[in-house]
Amino acid sequence: MNTLVITRVAEQQWHALDDDLVVGRGDASSRPDGRRFLSIDAWHDSVFERLAGAMLAALPRPLYTVVDEADLDLTARWRQAGLTTRRREWEYVMASGVPPVPPPPGVTTLPAGAAELRPLRRLDRTVRAEIESSPGWDQMPAAVLSRPLDPARHVVAADSAGYVGLARLALLPRHTRIGLVAVRADRRRRGIARALLAEVRRATHERGVATVSAEVHEANTAAIALFEGAGARRQGSNLELVIR
Amino acid sequence: MPKATGGIQVEGTVVECLRNANFRVELTSGHVVLAHISGKIRKNYIKILPFDRVLVELSPYDLTRGRILFRYRN
Repeated sequence: MNTLVITRVAEQQWHALDDDLVVGRGDASSRPDGRRFLSIDAWHDSVFERLAGAMLAALPRPLYTVVDEADLDLTARWRQAGLTTRRREWEYVMASGVPPVPPPPGVTTLPAGAAELRPLRRLDRTVRAEIESSPGWDQMPAAVLSRPLDPARHVVAADSAGYVGLARLALLPRHTRIGLVAVRADRRRRGIARALLAEVRRATHERGVATVSAEVHEANTAAIALFEGAGARRQGSNLELVIR
Repeated sequence: MPKATGGIQVEGTVVECLRNANFRVELTSGHVVLAHISGKIRKNYIKILPFDRVLVELSPYDLTRGRILFRYRN
């Protein structure tokens, strides 16, 4: 690795070259919330270190990355580069198609695709205003953000006053991923989220898919109680690391 | 300009998800390699499951190791 050269090949891409061979790659990309995430692929620690050094020197901070907590080598490499843990998310996995959970009296659940856009938008604004300061709202990957709002990706709970809760989904070929479960503050603790989750599992089973997954911030005790109460298994965890 | 990437790229099928963020992948040649996922896949929260068809870059330093670069839509 004596001849290792780090080259910025594009605005957000770096290559590590050894004798004209690409032996490592670095990439930066911006999330919808404007935060910039880094990734580096290198077979050797020394190449990783050089790429990280070049990227951290060139890009404005803060800079973020995501690692599987079980990937001890990669986590150690990023820590060596100066990044520290900002948040931890548990990954929960549950089977689709469990027995139905009836919604609370006066509440109905609308399957994905059945909600009307305008009231869905209104509910989205309401829950956004209520939980804006809570961790994770605006920091989800594009797959679950649903911008613009797409009724096909939302299971909705409604009562006589209108839409009161939603589950935002990414309907992937082999599993359904839940991006958000939110219930209006004045309708919480009545079992609406449980009913939304049951509808997600029912619909997932109906499309021939066996699993539903969700990432939950470790401090989100309500969501942890919801998923664990529904029998979800904790399968792993992701760490978001940051350098400021 | 660089001549080539450091590793050979081959297609395979994930046969097992291991506990330490690694995967056992059976290549089209029949060889089985131990692979981890690329940074881009992790950054985009793309989930790799058994039976997924994937593109793997083999390590030029150890042909039993690889990195999953891409998951095909089955």
